[in-house]
Amino acid sequence: MNTRYSDKNPLILRILGTAGKALILGVACVFTAFPFLWMVLSSLKTKADILNTDVFFPPDPQWQNITSILFDSPIPKYIFNSMWVSLAIVALQIVSGAMLAYALVFLKFRTNRILFAIVMATYMLPVAATYIPSYIILADWGLLDSFGGLIISSTVSIFGIFLLRQAFMQIPKGLVEAARMDGASHWRALWEIVCPMTKSSFITFGLMNFIGTYNNYMWPSLITKTSDYFLVSQGLRAFFVRDGAYGTEWALVMAASAVVVIPLLVLFAFTQRWFINGIGGETGMKG
Amino acid sequence: MSEIILKHITKEYENGFLAVKDVNLEIKDNEFVILVGPSGCGKSTTLRMIAGLEDISEGDLLIDGERMNDVAPQHRDIAMVFQNYALYPHMSVYQNIAYSLKIKKVPKSEIDKRVREVAQSLGLEGLLDRRPGQLSGGQKQRVAMGRAIIRHPKAFLMDEPLSNLDAKLRGQMRVEIADLYQRLNTTFIYVTHDQTEAMTLGTKIVVMKDGEIQQIDSPANLFNYPANRFVAGFIGTPTMNFFDASCEETGGQVVLQTDTGTIRMNDKKAAALKEGGWIGKKVAAGIRPEHVISAKDGASKVFEGEVGVFELLGSNAIVYLQTASGRMVMNTTDLREYTHGERVALGVMEDKVHIFDPETERTVTN
Repeated sequence: MNTRYSDKNPLILRILGTAGKALILGVACVFTAFPFLWMVLSSLKTKADILNTDVFFPPDPQWQNITSILFDSPIPKYIFNSMWVSLAIVALQIVSGAMLAYALVFLKFRTNRILFAIVMATYMLPVAATYIPSYIILADWGLLDSFGGLIISSTVSIFGIFLLRQAFMQIPKGLVEAARMDGASHWRALWEIVCPMTKSSFITFGLMNFIGTYNNYMWPSLITKTSDYFLVSQGLRAFFVRDGAYGTEWALVMAASAVVVIPLLVLFAFTQRWFINGIGGETGMKG
Repeated sequence: MSEIILKHITKEYENGFLAVKDVNLEIKDNEFVILVGPSGCGKSTTLRMIAGLEDISEGDLLIDGERMNDVAPQHRDIAMVFQNYALYPHMSVYQNIAYSLKIKKVPKSEIDKRVREVAQSLGLEGLLDRRPGQLSGGQKQRVAMGRAIIRHPKAFLMDEPLSNLDAKLRGQMRVEIADLYQRLNTTFIYVTHDQTEAMTLGTKIVVMKDGEIQQIDSPANLFNYPANRFVAGFIGTPTMNFFDASCEETGGQVVLQTDTGTIRMNDKKAAALKEGGWIGKKVAAGIRPEHVISAKDGASKVFEGEVGVFELLGSNAIVYLQTASGRMVMNTTDLREYTHGERVALGVMEDKVHIFDPETERTVTN
């Protein structure tokens, strides 16, 4: 490849090409990373420095912004709420999604295709259209303003079902049949044969939905009103406006935002390899 | 002890396609049963119904007298070897072989002992830590067998287990399967489209076509006494030569008259032809290539043909000829070179002629 490429293109063109690509990617990176960088830097500034556009780096890092968020604010509680609620939701979504995807791909039944069409049709429903019926159901069950309500209302992920179904379709049916002949139930075949072979899709699914749930704002804010049940986004907003006005404590708001992102960054660092694999559509067999 | 009985088994797919039609089959303990037939004949579907991987539309499947139609595959105690091996790619060879025992919650020490025994018997000792991706086709095949053997199942089902191997390895594995059968003393049900595998391995062969059983018999009987023209043509390589003839009786001797000669019928064949009322009628006749001989060897001339292709195989040779009765193949041990275009007078071993009803294709006499 390389030799053919260089034969046809003089050195100068290749250098220009590489430089052009680097420039475009560099600009994209700056646009993506700048707000994040600005947030992190602002979290170490005083309120006056934040509003002063002449100061980019904090002249005197205000570490107490961070410590006061960690020790004197409700933010850690919101992070904890978000973490465990998201974990519970993702665990349930993975189990329900994997089971349905397995049935759609490996079981033969008459309504198989129709079932999949119905599932996908619900994907096209605007999320907002589900708020009122879901709210009424939760109200009937007495689950408003509770962790139970937050979790139960998100046990199924259509995106996850679709993602896993696509991954499962790459697995030869013979493998599941072999497992059945070896004495495995469908349940075992799913978790011991199919799941390890589609690990990266499971991780992608888990990570994306974890981030989504962790950051979710609209739905949790509709069904919870006690701060004990707040997730981070809602908690941050409450933190913004706690003294009755927006933006009174910009430095603390920035510090809180920065702290809230940390769990996601850690999670992403650990799963990055699989995550990219999963989006690329591989079955994780290369590990 | 295991006895598998198929009673009026039918498989109809949702789109109305009848893959298997009213199959009746009795498989006794320790039999090596081969389901053989061209692709799409329903042999694999039949096997998969026995395994429980395919629902049975009609009829009963009995294993040891118990109706198994609605029993899940994992509760039938039957092992299966798949055409593409179906090894679990994320498990080592050891884990692949041990998987069924792990499911049964066999103690670890017992699993270890049995895996090593099986690995030794299949020559896999050095490969236990490898992943299937690192194995050759023959090794994968052995692992697939090991996975089946370790369970001591009631029966082994094999779905074209050798068709992914090259010719040499296939021959080798065929011998190993035969050896395995001798050692294990269990029922084998084996699907193949390769009649050599069928003839060499089976104690009982079931020939299928279009979802129907054509004949169930021992290899020798299938070869010598085919029940119909399809079986006669399917079993044996090169395939049987078929030609039209008229059945006549002259001076008390029943003969088959071809365009270029006559074949005398022995008493048994003559009686069958007379009894069936075939005298004076057209019949379809068949003769195996090894029973076609040169007319010079004392046989009377039946056909006269022109040599097309001549294949020297070493100990024998196959000669393809064009005759007035159609294409004829001769399998001869006379190793002289036949040249293209040469005219040859052919005779047949008269006792070896098979006669079929041209309408129903059923055998009149063998």
